[in-house]
Amino acid sequence: MNNSTVVSYFSQSNEFIHVHAWLSKALGFDATSLMAFVIFAVIALIIVGAMATIGGLGTYAERKISADLQARMGPNRVGPFGLLQFLADGVKMIMKEDIITTNADKFTFNLAPVLCMVGVFATLAVVPYSSGFILADLNVGIFYLVGMASLVGVGVFLGGYASNSKWSMLGGMRGASQIISYEIPATISIIAIVLLAGGLSMKTLVGAQGGLPHEWFLFHNPFAFMAFFVYFIAGLAETNRAPFDLPEAESELVSGYHTEYSGMKFGLFALAEYIEIFVVCGVAVALFLGGYKVPFDLGSGAMLVEKLGLDSMLSQNIGQLLELGAFVSKTLVLYYVVIWVRWTLPRLRVDQLMTLCWKYLTPIALFNLIGCAVWMYAFNGKSIFTLIFSAAASGHGGH
Amino acid sequence: MFSNTLFLLSAVLTVAGALMVVYTKNLMHACIYLLASFFGIAGLYACLGADFLAATQLVVYAGGVIILMLFAIMLTGGTGNKVNRYGLEKIPAMGNKKTYFTAGFTAIVSALILVKITMSAMSGNPAVANLTNEPTVERLGTILATDHILAFEISSVLLLGALVGAAVISRPRKEIHD
Amino acid sequence: MSTLHLDVYMPVVILIALALLVAGGSLFLGSLIRPHNPNKLKETAYECGEEPVGTAWTNFNIRFYVIALIFIIFDVESALMFPVAAVFKKFNEIGLGGTLLMSILTFVSVLLAGIVYCWKKGDLDWVKSYTQSTSTTPTYGKKD
Repeated sequence: MNNSTVVSYFSQSNEFIHVHAWLSKALGFDATSLMAFVIFAVIALIIVGAMATIGGLGTYAERKISADLQARMGPNRVGPFGLLQFLADGVKMIMKEDIITTNADKFTFNLAPVLCMVGVFATLAVVPYSSGFILADLNVGIFYLVGMASLVGVGVFLGGYASNSKWSMLGGMRGASQIISYEIPATISIIAIVLLAGGLSMKTLVGAQGGLPHEWFLFHNPFAFMAFFVYFIAGLAETNRAPFDLPEAESELVSGYHTEYSGMKFGLFALAEYIEIFVVCGVAVALFLGGYKVPFDLGSGAMLVEKLGLDSMLSQNIGQLLELGAFVSKTLVLYYVVIWVRWTLPRLRVDQLMTLCWKYLTPIALFNLIGCAVWMYAFNGKSIFTLIFSAAASGHGGH
Repeated sequence: MFSNTLFLLSAVLTVAGALMVVYTKNLMHACIYLLASFFGIAGLYACLGADFLAATQLVVYAGGVIILMLFAIMLTGGTGNKVNRYGLEKIPAMGNKKTYFTAGFTAIVSALILVKITMSAMSGNPAVANLTNEPTVERLGTILATDHILAFEISSVLLLGALVGAAVISRPRKEIHD
Repeated sequence: MSTLHLDVYMPVVILIALALLVAGGSLFLGSLIRPHNPNKLKETAYECGEEPVGTAWTNFNIRFYVIALIFIIFDVESALMFPVAAVFKKFNEIGLGGTLLMSILTFVSVLLAGIVYCWKKGDLDWVKSYTQSTSTTPTYGKKD
């Protein structure tokens, strides 16, 4: 078992070895694959459930935060503080009549929301929640994520096309062209970080950073700092969030590509969108903000064993929980920023959107890429803080 | 055990997708089936241990080429009347004895060539058994940066040519009546 | 079995299956309890209360196609850049960073030249047909 994922994390425990031996004896063949499958299936179910909750709470948070920013109350009837609003919405969506217009392309109409879901769910496999809690640490992790996320663009386009309504068609075309355009600066910013970390797998990318802010790639050098903002802006555009919500601009396109969708199919689009925001924020955290790293190497649990004399497996579990908490809290802060931006900035026009992408973000991203390469070469891969500290230290030594 | 499952899933997806591309009469549906086929091919690459190639297949073909094709269909006005206006049955030269003979002959020849090529792989290629999980990205990068650096640089010129070409052919032409 | 561990791809397959299951399951569950009262007016495409005129599947502007073309070129470029960027750190540590830096610089600057060319020629402008067309009726905003 050379893949470093949840399964290899669990396989360190005694229970795993016992069950493995027992199963292998009972079934008469090596049960490693079977057990891996079961563990993966259970964890994937947990993650999907958690993500559905996060997506649902995302809609609640969106309404509550926007209410807050506009000095309103927001949803407050269902459950405490209106927290169960998303469940009520989900029930409503399932019970709504499913309307397919007569002119629509039925096969594509049904397929489009499913494609969006598949694209977003498949990206969840490589999101690093903690050092032991990652579903698949693929060698091509981040590149795989870029590829799977582009499936959402196809889903958005097909949703707009299949409805055979003018609003939807315009929204779908805009959505697809916007998503593919902004994928370019996002990908080039990712390449700049790959250059700094020296690998494509999520573990390598996060592992090259540290727990404290000065060890993050965000503050590694000025170019990486800019690359973060390029990535974040492109991420906003890729998820069709304001100020880039042209595909669903309600004042001009009614509701964009999902104008004709009702009931659960609309719900699937919305769910995919809110989970995708989480994934984009999670990737931004993993690439630039230190990911799951916690300060002072608390994540491995070595310190707890040393100082408090705890059991190694227990302290490791505590470390994992700390890492999970660090990752999720950073991601949720970015999630808040995404919602905040929506109520702060006005929507762009289509020509401004394309100008921003091709005339500003893409050249800046290419410039950042070159800048990172030159920085790596000139300062031998040291971050700006390392240089400052070493300069200060040598300065003191001179006195 | 899972290797076989992955291979079977990918193979079925590839072949079924490709067949549906041929059989469907709706251009848009053909594009969707092609997407499924591309996914299957990515799975096949993954089965062979070429993980970077699989991801490239996803990024370039499933993400890029499919969108390009969808936009190209929209450029021609979508599938307005849903069926292929220039279907095979409408071309008078198709569907007679001569075409069937030519098609049959071509099929036999290409099948023979395919069998000849795949024969070596069928008889237990030892190279497949020696595949390992070592990251192909680093190997590819090392090769691209050392032995094949010229190919790497020239590919950028090729891409530049494609970029300029795409820009030039899409420029609005000067109107003749002006 | 070979030394190749394909188990890493297991979660990918499981997650795709789960996505299909969640989508299909919720739609199926809904079909058991949701009402189904279709009528002709309800099933027309929404056009702000008007009767829909014609189909939405019409010819679209070529600029979308151009964007897709440029996108593919940059996609291939990123696919080529990823492996080279991944080994840059290693090369830098063994002292070959300068050579690799030069090749990356050449690669990126050739592409930058392409962008600059398109920029100068106005291919990156979204409303170019308005400024360049000499006809009296501007095509600006016709379909976007």
